[in-house]
Amino acid sequence: MSEILTKAGLRELAKEWNAQGKVVAGPAQVKPGLVLYAPLASADDIVWDGFVRAANSAKEAVFPRHELLCRYHLEGNRVELTNGGAEVAAQILLAVRPCDAAALPILDHVFNWDYRDEAYNRRREATTVVTLACASYDESCFCTSVGLGPQAERGSDVMLFDLGDEFEVRCLTDKGRAIFAGKTQTSERTAPLSKGPKPRFSPQHIKQFVDEHFTGPFWQDETLACLGCGACAYNCPTCHCFDIVDEGNSQHGERVRNWDSCQFAQFTLHASGHNPRPDQGSRQRQRVLHKFSIYPEKFGEILCTGCGNCTRNCPEGQGLLTLLTGIEHAL
Amino acid sequence: MSEANQFEPKIIAYVCNWCTYLGADLAGTTRLEYPANVRIIRLPCTGRIDFNLLVKAFEIGADTVLVSGCHPGDCHYTAGNYHARRRWMLFRELLDTLGFDLRRIYFTWISAAEGRKWQEEITRITEETRKLGPYRELYKKNGNQNPSLATEDESARSALECGGLTPPCPRQGMDLGKEGGVKPPHSKAPLAQEQKLRETCRKLLEDGTVQVVIGYGAGGPVFIRRAEDAGKLVWNTNCQANLATYLKRKEIKRLGKAAVVVKACDERGLVILEKESQIDRLTLRVIGMACDGMGQPKCDACKVHQPRFADEIIGEAAAQQPETPHATETDALMQMPPAERMSWWAQEFERCVKCYACRQVCPLCYCERCIADKNRPVVIDTSATPKGNFAWHITRAFHLAGRCVGCGECTRACPAGIPLGLLNLTLARAAEKHFGYQAGMDPKVEPLIGSYALTDKEDFIR
Repeated sequence: MSEILTKAGLRELAKEWNAQGKVVAGPAQVKPGLVLYAPLASADDIVWDGFVRAANSAKEAVFPRHELLCRYHLEGNRVELTNGGAEVAAQILLAVRPCDAAALPILDHVFNWDYRDEAYNRRREATTVVTLACASYDESCFCTSVGLGPQAERGSDVMLFDLGDEFEVRCLTDKGRAIFAGKTQTSERTAPLSKGPKPRFSPQHIKQFVDEHFTGPFWQDETLACLGCGACAYNCPTCHCFDIVDEGNSQHGERVRNWDSCQFAQFTLHASGHNPRPDQGSRQRQRVLHKFSIYPEKFGEILCTGCGNCTRNCPEGQGLLTLLTGIEHAL
Repeated sequence: MSEANQFEPKIIAYVCNWCTYLGADLAGTTRLEYPANVRIIRLPCTGRIDFNLLVKAFEIGADTVLVSGCHPGDCHYTAGNYHARRRWMLFRELLDTLGFDLRRIYFTWISAAEGRKWQEEITRITEETRKLGPYRELYKKNGNQNPSLATEDESARSALECGGLTPPCPRQGMDLGKEGGVKPPHSKAPLAQEQKLRETCRKLLEDGTVQVVIGYGAGGPVFIRRAEDAGKLVWNTNCQANLATYLKRKEIKRLGKAAVVVKACDERGLVILEKESQIDRLTLRVIGMACDGMGQPKCDACKVHQPRFADEIIGEAAAQQPETPHATETDALMQMPPAERMSWWAQEFERCVKCYACRQVCPLCYCERCIADKNRPVVIDTSATPKGNFAWHITRAFHLAGRCVGCGECTRACPAGIPLGLLNLTLARAAEKHFGYQAGMDPKVEPLIGSYALTDKEDFIR
């Protein structure tokens, strides 16, 4: 026994959510060959299939690339601060991938461990995640290597399974049940288990390798093709580094936070001119270290969901998978 | 009272210290009256006026911008205004492509003796601006909100609506691991070319001419350091990247003397890099591959298929230069009214996350510290807002004016599918139209920016 909803029915439901003032975001065809997650002006814009995954990540819904923290106004000796914490509309992430959904509970750790990040949490709390299980994968996908899979439920409030003309709907949380209540029909149809990509490496091996090979030629040799842009980090569902900057003048302006990436040369540049990570090898090592050693030691889980966006977006076709399979072979 | 009556134009005038500023001063001392709508910003020379300042003036609310300096021949620094003139010919074309309202930008020459001309010009500009009304279209998308204030939460996120244009080329990445997608390039004998390439590189490494060969491998760029690895080099339609960009990276420089595999289009970039003293052609070995196209949209309009300056030229290209230029996205774009063009770009830039892939892949973006990374003071907002994104893309494009060789790497690399190459193409076309200049075609020609001619046009003066 299962609950089902037709594709047309889900579109109608999404329109209903829109009408209720909720923001519905999901994969949309921006250009031929380019699908991105974006807030949908209309549920008609959503694309269900015909692509492996969106080229960006759904983290932007809870951790935008640019966020206002506060406004300042200076007058004489007085500083007036207005909080940027505007109201956030309830939002529904529709038809995101399991690798996007799984990233949210992982991100929750870092935005709540020593300081409760209001900006993040108020969006997170307003978000309902409706995941669409994967029906296909490509050469860049490696979710099964990091303990997830095409039907992984982690981080989802609702799981959808494509049955052709309709979806099987599995509500996993109260949040999910609330938006689908009374909208589905009971059916005999259930989604079959689907297989993900063959595992490519073992996270334990990676951790072992990075812990033992902080120095050594591996990092320099294997990262020569990296040009040091942020295409991997900015489209990664779990990368969460940011920079806080003041924009404005000496009278008034804004304090904002913007995405930042450990792959930029300036990321660790000291005021003295010294840079503890002076080359791309050490920057790539940091990325692997953070994902497979530092984060697991601190929060008990890997900072990677195997979505493969780093590879898909790399102008030179590199990405974590290249490096990780390289490590697996080097062991 | 109608709005037109209430509207007082705000005009920002960037003037040079030696002529126009004194001209304005003279207007004052001789009691010539002119509208008080102009804010004067004095700079040493028009040649010193950073184009970012013009854009910034609009961002902070100017309705019109005026640039004025010494008459040609009168420059206190001999040639500052000639440089400004040449740069301006190109820059206004870029602003036009982006949809700036060129009626709001004035450029003129006013000498220290021309107090009356200053009075007349300011009076005229104020009146003309009054007729145009306030500049509201800046960075605006679809005529709704004003994105320069768009730091509100939701507006910073990407939206969907696609422009009315034929969608520009999708991202042409390397189809890694998809064997079916890899085809030999359309040259006469690609396999023979590949074999010759491997042999050549093996020899170069064997006899110690070079320590590393920067070439194409099955999974992206490879850096071959041992002669026996030369077999890893490939030559097929996946060889799209412009490998010249690796020559700027210190990680590569420290590997020793290098040989780089380039297509004929990439080779044009090397001409510029040499001209700008970024590479030493005495130590660098260039392996030029004849190429009849990689199947990218840019290849249809390609003018060079056969390498010309490489140390080793492998293969022979069959493709001819297209006789009639194709109608391009730029043409379609230029048919829109300016405000619509700006809206189109605002939509495209809205997807920009500022990952700087465009900068990093560009072989000609080699600054140790990019202006976008300067934070004391901040020149370009790091925020991925309309203001920050326009500022970045204008700067990137203009820093490549007269230099960009059209390799199209910026467009290919953009994860958000923004056709950045269109901006560079605009500038390349302008360089050809006004100065008969094509970047990287002739090593003997002086760089376009950084040189000037007394005969340069100045039909933008108004």
